[in-house]
Amino acid sequence: MQAFDCAIVGAGPAGMSAALALTQGGADVIVLDRADRAGGQIYRSASSSPLPDAASLGPDYAAGADLITRFERSGAKHLAGADAWHIGDDGRILFSYQGDTRELHCREMLLCPGAMERPMPIPGWTLPGVMTAGAAQVMLKSDAVVADGAVFAGSGPLLYLIVAQYLRLGVRVAALVDTTPRRHYLDAAPLLPRAWRQVGQLRKGLSLLREIRAAGVDTYRYAENLEVIGEETAKGLRFSISGQPHEVSADTVFLHHGVQPNLNMTRAMGLAHHWNNAQMCWQVTVDEFGQSAISHVSVAGDGAGIVGADGACAAGRVVAQNMLYHLGRVSRTGRDRNSHADLYYLSSMKPFRRFIDCLYRPTEALRLPRDTETLVCRCEEQSLGDLRAGFEQGARDPNALKSLTRCGMGPCQGRQCGHVVTGLLAQWRKESPDAVGYYRLRSPQRLLTVDELGRYNTIPAEAAK
Amino acid sequence: MFRSLQSDDHNLITLSVNGRSVKARKGQSVWSAMAVASEVVTRKAALSGNARSAYCAMGVCFECMVEIDGLANQQACLSRVAEGMNVSTQVITEDTEADAGL
Amino acid sequence: MKADALIIGGGIQGCATAYHLARKGVSVIVVEKDYAGRHASGVNAGGVRLLGRDMAEVPLSKASMEMWQTLDEELGHDTGFRRQSLINIAADEGDLDTLRAREAKMHEAGYAYERMIDQAELRDRLPHVNFDCVGGVISELDGYAIPYKATSAFRLAAENLGAKVIEGEEVLSLRRVGNTWLAQGSRNAYEAEAVINCAGAWADRIALMIGDNVPLSHAAPMLMITARMPHFAKPVVGAVSRQLSFKQFENGTVLIGGGAKGFADRANNRTRLDYAKLAAACRTTAEFFPNMRKASINRMWAGLEAYMPDNLPVICPAVNAPRAFHAFGFSAHGFQMGPIVGQVLADLVTGGQSRFNLSPFRIDRFDRKVL
Repeated sequence: MQAFDCAIVGAGPAGMSAALALTQGGADVIVLDRADRAGGQIYRSASSSPLPDAASLGPDYAAGADLITRFERSGAKHLAGADAWHIGDDGRILFSYQGDTRELHCREMLLCPGAMERPMPIPGWTLPGVMTAGAAQVMLKSDAVVADGAVFAGSGPLLYLIVAQYLRLGVRVAALVDTTPRRHYLDAAPLLPRAWRQVGQLRKGLSLLREIRAAGVDTYRYAENLEVIGEETAKGLRFSISGQPHEVSADTVFLHHGVQPNLNMTRAMGLAHHWNNAQMCWQVTVDEFGQSAISHVSVAGDGAGIVGADGACAAGRVVAQNMLYHLGRVSRTGRDRNSHADLYYLSSMKPFRRFIDCLYRPTEALRLPRDTETLVCRCEEQSLGDLRAGFEQGARDPNALKSLTRCGMGPCQGRQCGHVVTGLLAQWRKESPDAVGYYRLRSPQRLLTVDELGRYNTIPAEAAK
Repeated sequence: MFRSLQSDDHNLITLSVNGRSVKARKGQSVWSAMAVASEVVTRKAALSGNARSAYCAMGVCFECMVEIDGLANQQACLSRVAEGMNVSTQVITEDTEADAGL
Repeated sequence: MKADALIIGGGIQGCATAYHLARKGVSVIVVEKDYAGRHASGVNAGGVRLLGRDMAEVPLSKASMEMWQTLDEELGHDTGFRRQSLINIAADEGDLDTLRAREAKMHEAGYAYERMIDQAELRDRLPHVNFDCVGGVISELDGYAIPYKATSAFRLAAENLGAKVIEGEEVLSLRRVGNTWLAQGSRNAYEAEAVINCAGAWADRIALMIGDNVPLSHAAPMLMITARMPHFAKPVVGAVSRQLSFKQFENGTVLIGGGAKGFADRANNRTRLDYAKLAAACRTTAEFFPNMRKASINRMWAGLEAYMPDNLPVICPAVNAPRAFHAFGFSAHGFQMGPIVGQVLADLVTGGQSRFNLSPFRIDRFDRKVL
C-alpha cells in the first residue's frame, strides 16, 4: 500500500489550489479524481475543450484552463480516473482504478467532493427530456453537445449562465422561465449595499441577464406551479404567473434552483453536519481552516458549503496551509501569515454570498413536492404519498422511513431524495432539519461489482502501484 | 433534440446503441452519444417500467444506468464510448427473470 | 409514567413481547434509546431460518416458524415474510458426510423438516449453482422477511392493543422499591410492576442494573446488497462448510451475508466495515454462483449484535431480582425467534412459566464456583 503526506479527493478548483500550495510547501501529494482530466464540474474540460470557440463560455472558464495547467506542472501526483469509494477516518482510501480496487494511506486527507444541483421534484421531473441546467453545462463543456429549443426553468446565476452560453453559440432557446419570486428582490435589496464590495461579481450577473434580454428570448418572470407536460417524454412546461396559466412547448426542459454540497463522502465518513438555513442544505461542520472534528481530515470547496469557484480556490489554499502546519512544514504563525489574505477574501465574500443566497433562495414549492403522486425517490419510485403513509406508520426518522419505504435505498444513495426527506419530515414533525437529521450513509459511494471487490486484497503489491 | 457543435469528421468511432449503429467522437460520453443519436431512454424504472433518461449528466442521479457490453448498471454519463461498444437500454424490473443457468 | 410492564429495547423481541403482553390485557410501555428497529432487528439479513439450528433452540424455532407462516394476518401488518425455502449447499463429499451425520441426529430426535437433496435436485432448484456442487439440505418452511417491517409490524400491532412505544428514551438507572420497579430514562421516569430486558447489544448493562451479571460480547456482522438483478434464485442460499449466504428478494436485489464480521464500536453507537473480509465474501459468492460476478454492490453495512459464549440466547426470569425478565444475546440468529420469544416472555410475566424447556437459556449458566 502506498503512503503519502497528503491525499486529496477531487480535482476541482479547491483540490487543485490545495495541491499547488501543498507541493510548494514541500509535501508529497496525491490527487484522486474520477474524471479523465482535472477541472471538476466548473472547469470541466477547460484545458481541452471540444468546442470550436471555447471563449464563448466566458473568461471565468478560461481562467480555469490556467489553473489546470499550473496544477499539472505542480509535481502533485494526479491519478485521473481514480474513483474513491471508501474514505476512512484512519487515513485509508479505497478507490476503483482501471477496473480494480486500489488502496492508499495518507497522513493528511482533504476531501473536495464539490457540489451538485438541488433536485427539483415537480410533477413530471422524471420524464425523459427533463434534465438539470448543470447537465446542459456538462454536455456542452465535455462533448460540445447542445439541445435546440429547450426551455430553461428555475432561478440562480448558473441558470442564466448556461442560457447566455447557448445564445452565444447560436443555439435556439425556447424560453427562460424564471421562478425567482418578487418578494425575494425586496428581501435581498437591503443586503445589496454590503454586497457591493464584490461589484465585479454583481456586474457579471447583470450582464448575463442583459445579454439574455437583448437576444430576445421569451422570458417569463415570477413563475409558479411548475409542471412538466408529457406522457412518455417531456413535451413542455406548464406554469402560472399571478394565477394566469402559461405553457411552453419543448422536448427538453432544463431545471435549476441552486446547488448544494455533494454530501455522500463526508456523510459516509461519519463527519458531523449541520443545516445551513441560508442555503437550505446540509453542510459538513468544519472550522475556518476547513478542518473537521478529526484533525487529519479537512474539507474544502463547495463540498464544505457553497462558496463558488473563486471561493473554492481560496479555501483550498487556506486548508493547504493548515495541513502543512500539521505536517510540521510551516509554523503556526507561518500558516496564519500565509493564509491571511485568502481568509480575508473569504470573509469579504460573505456579504455578496448572503445577497445571492437571499435573492435565489430555493422556494419551498420547488424544494418539496406538493402532489401526492410526485416522486421523491427516483430510484425506488417512492412518491410524496408513499412517504406520508410511511410517516403515519411511525417512521419519523429518515433512516426508519428508508427502511420502511425503500426511499433512499437505490443506487443514487439518497443524493436526489435526501434533502427532500429531511425537509418533509421537518415539516411533518414540526421540528428543525437538525432535529430530523439525514440518512446514515456508508461506503461504497459508487456501485461496485462483486468481481471488482472480490479481487481487492488479492492484487499483488506491484500491480497495485 | 440534441446535436453536436463539432462539424469535423476526425476521431469518429462506431458503437451500437439498442442495435443501431451510431457514430460518436472518441472520448465522448456514452450518454451524449446516445443523446445525439436520439436514443435517450437509458433505463426502465424497476417498479413502473416507465422510461427514464439522464437527469444530471454528472454522476449523481444514477438515472442513466445502461447495459454496456453485457454489464448492467453502467452510468452512461461517466462512461466513454469505444469502438465496437454495445450499449442498450437497461431493463431490470421486479419481474425480470434471468436466463436459465448452464 | 406507569404501566404493568416496562420493556427496555424496541427491537423485535421487545416489540413482540409488548404485543403478546398487550393481548393478555397487560398495560405495557416500551422504551427505546434510538428508534424501534434501529439496530440488529432492523438491519439484519432477514433470514427466517429453522435449518441447522442448535438442538436446544429447535423447539422454540419450530414453534416460531409456524407463527411466521400466518404472522401478517395475525398482526394486520406486512412483515415481508416469504416462504422460499433455504438450501445449504454441499460443495463436496466431506460436506455430504457432515449432512448425513446431522440427518441421523435430527431423525433420532424425531425431526424431519430438514431433507437432504442430491445434485440433480440442487441444480433444479438453483439452476445457476456451480456445477461442482454435489448436493445439499433443504428446509421448505424457511424463507426471509424484511427486518424493519417485521419489527414495525409487531410494534404497530402492540400499539393497536394499547401498548406505548417511546423512542429516543435511554434507561439510565433501574431500581426496585417495594413491589415496584423505578426506571429513570433520559427524558421521563417510569414505574412498573415487571421489567423486561430486551436491550440487545446493550442488554448486559440493563442486566447489571437488575442485578444479574452476564458474559455478553459484541460483534458487527456485515452485509452487502446489490442493485436489482434478473431473478435467478428463489431459495435462500447457504453452504455447509463455507461462509456463503445470500438471498434474492422479490424486488430483485440480492443480500449477501456469510457471517463475516466488521468492528463493533458500541461506545459510539456505530460499526465499521472490514473490506478485506467483504472481498472474501464476494469471492465465495462468485465461486458458488458465477453469475454473481457481474452483480453490482450498492450498499454495505453492519449491525451491532450481542453474542453469548455458546451462541445461545438468554431467555429467563432474572436470577437476582423478582419480577424482572431477560431476552437477549441471540448471537445473530434471533430474528426468526422473535414471534415465539414474545409469547414465551408474556407467559413468564403473567403466569410465571413457559411450555418450553428454557434451562439452556438461563442467564446464570456460565456462573462458576471460585477456583
